[in-house]
Amino acid sequence: MRLHVEPSSALPLVGFSIAFGQGGAHDPVEREGLARASMRMLRRGGAGLDGKGIEDAVDRLGAEIGADASMSAVTVSGEVLARNASALFELVGRLLASPAFEPAELSKLVRESQAELVEARDNDRGLASRALRRTLFHGHPYARRVAGSVTSLAALTRADVVGWHAATITRANAWVTVYGDVDDARGRELAQRLLAGLPEGVPHQDPVCDPVRRVGRELVFVDKPERTQVQLSIGTLGTRGDDGDHHALIVANTAFGGTFTARLMNEVRGKRGWSYGASSRLSLDRRREAWSMWTAPGEADAPACLALQLDLLERLVNDGLTAEEVEFAKSYLARSHVFEVDTAEKRAHRELDAAVLALPDGYHASYLQRVAEVDVDRANAALRARLSADDLVIAAVGTRAASLDALTAATPRLARTTVAPHDLE
Amino acid sequence: MSEVPAALEGRVCFVEAHPFGGGAPVQRFRLSNGLEVLVLVDREAPVFSYQTWFAVGSRHERPGKTGLAHLFEHLMFNETEKLPYGVFDRKLEEAGAESNAATWVDWTYYYENLPREALGLATELESERMARLVLQEPQVAREKEVVMNERRMRVDDDVDGSVSELLYSTVFREHGYSWPTIGWMQDIEGFTTADCAEFYRAYYAPNNATLVVVGDVDVPALLSLVVERYGALSASARPREDVRPEPPQTEERRVEVHKPTETERLVVAYRGPALGDQDHAALSVVNDVLFAGRGSRLYGALVQRGELAIDCRGWVSTFRDPGLYEISVTARPDVTAEALLEVLDRELAEIVASPPTDDELARVKAKMELGALSGLQTVAGKAEQIGFWSVVTGDPSDAFRRLSAVRRLTPDDLLRAARRYLTPSSRTVILVRPSGDDEAEAE
Repeated sequence: MRLHVEPSSALPLVGFSIAFGQGGAHDPVEREGLARASMRMLRRGGAGLDGKGIEDAVDRLGAEIGADASMSAVTVSGEVLARNASALFELVGRLLASPAFEPAELSKLVRESQAELVEARDNDRGLASRALRRTLFHGHPYARRVAGSVTSLAALTRADVVGWHAATITRANAWVTVYGDVDDARGRELAQRLLAGLPEGVPHQDPVCDPVRRVGRELVFVDKPERTQVQLSIGTLGTRGDDGDHHALIVANTAFGGTFTARLMNEVRGKRGWSYGASSRLSLDRRREAWSMWTAPGEADAPACLALQLDLLERLVNDGLTAEEVEFAKSYLARSHVFEVDTAEKRAHRELDAAVLALPDGYHASYLQRVAEVDVDRANAALRARLSADDLVIAAVGTRAASLDALTAATPRLARTTVAPHDLE
Repeated sequence: MSEVPAALEGRVCFVEAHPFGGGAPVQRFRLSNGLEVLVLVDREAPVFSYQTWFAVGSRHERPGKTGLAHLFEHLMFNETEKLPYGVFDRKLEEAGAESNAATWVDWTYYYENLPREALGLATELESERMARLVLQEPQVAREKEVVMNERRMRVDDDVDGSVSELLYSTVFREHGYSWPTIGWMQDIEGFTTADCAEFYRAYYAPNNATLVVVGDVDVPALLSLVVERYGALSASARPREDVRPEPPQTEERRVEVHKPTETERLVVAYRGPALGDQDHAALSVVNDVLFAGRGSRLYGALVQRGELAIDCRGWVSTFRDPGLYEISVTARPDVTAEALLEVLDRELAEIVASPPTDDELARVKAKMELGALSGLQTVAGKAEQIGFWSVVTGDPSDAFRRLSAVRRLTPDDLLRAARRYLTPSSRTVILVRPSGDDEAEAE
């Protein structure tokens, strides 16, 4: 067990997160959604309480708890009025150690989760992101949805959940952070309440490997009726925290699409008004994740907007950024960094993320220095080495009859086009 | 208490101190041109939040010109007399700012969260755009395009957004809460530069603004900067608000609508109290008994035990004038909105018949205390509370007075509020069907 305590007497609140290093990427094939479902089951019965009893107990303490999964980990988090901290930590510790996993409750959870997947189809931006990841990481665990699919959820059994819990929820796999109105000793004492009933277990090895870049430009069009816009999500592979040029790529991405005045926003919205938002991001996980950019142009502007974005990416990779752009991005990252650490909760979660994502030792402590060391040559070298304007996926959500042909025509060197229904799992 | 430097006497005055929780008070100052300045010193981190709240929102618009307050919020990030297009944001980003703005029915506000060294920059930039914004045709035309795209994203292609718009236009027939803050599409298309200039002159002036500054600041230094940058600005002749109180609703209104979604939805709205009404806290607690969290009555009846819904929510609008008590439920596949309504009606009848239990009340009070404190962890969170309450009810201390009021509520208070507001004749019901089902709409 690894523990971080972040004291702050600013408010009479205490918070915590406890993470275990086994997430959606580690779910067995055809059991996708297992990690998340198992975590959600923790608050549906255990420690002698049924689901309603748990919720009532948490509410009475003036507390909130959440249990969820990401690609690489599962987490239980909570916040509570300081005067009730002992009771909440005690309760969560008992739920972690002795969940009921009632079969009837698991069946209900599966039905609820399946309905949520259907309802999520109303979110066009989410559909675009899903289509991008499904294609970009095809054949790799990162292509999955942590929530699973309607089919994989239906296959889950109580034995799956019990087995997952026994292997995952152990002291050896736990990272804990406690923050807020505690001192170090009190934080450690509370953390022990979370872990008191857990077996020692065996540390997990992560079998997930880096994804392989797909070759060529690929358009995935998600057909949805009655759209007035096209949601465009364009991506290729990005970075890992231990890449030598990781910080250079962070700076370069910030200059290209990481702020309101960055190149992408300026071209798409500032000069043309084509989309309310335009941004790019570098996702971060234990293995190489995605670099992606997003816009939402109106149907009529979508082909030109797509062509512009592809051109901007091509020029970014081939011609690079200017020294002025790089220095500006560095200034922004250095000076805004204070907002990454201005509350105890943020400082605590930063430490937890570093552990869960297996970031190199001293990642956060050396962050500002690493950013300061980036110059225009390093930034442009990182862009050339890591991003590609040729090997990328273009995910578009729109109405096929109105948009597909024009988007296809707007994409030079398009290698493949796939049309998917909006309810594709 | 007053920290007004002697050199500034006569140009800015200390008005009063507002208690704000158990810590330092919020100090209120006023410039001679009417600009209000609310300051809370908080040295927890070397940062500050600088917010400018204008007492103008979509309620101040008129039919045919809806969405102007929101469009104007966008235009405020454009060119000024001293700053070419883009420079305003560039300077803020270079200093490490988090910045944005928001518009709603009663107000518009702008914020910058900055490292403490940048106080001079914040006062320089915000005073510049309050008084010397440049409004020209190309910028207005481009920003109209951006807003139309925002509307497509948030309303036209979004089921919840479009249903919310339908709800408010169905309930309100007189009051300015009738139209959406983002505006009707044809109104956005029709705005001229002259419309924008007139709006700017009327509402963007020191006597219609409140500065809220929270964080690691030196109060005398802040006041000196504010007087230097804002002191010479002129007050405006603010237009009289053409308020049209909404008449009582005497019979249920029901609308059926088809949307491109796979699941039915139910939206029900009762007429609700103004934020300043003493029943607002009581109805909010009633709502939390019904909808707040997984232990709530409706979450159990609709989502967990009933397995009829994916999600259910309730919200008492936090508007200056009487608003709505909104309820929305998303059905599971193959469940009808009528089935949701049947369960909802049964639960509402129950809470009108007998008050919540002492245990339910205690749970909600504890949750509200947690929620109130959680929102105060950052300087921006504190500044938002101070600005919001100051603009809507006139007193930033109301943020904590409300918590005190909640603590004093009894089950009888909740029963009274439920009976006062949950009256079937004053409600509006929207039934959302998936497109492709029978699309005959009925009212």
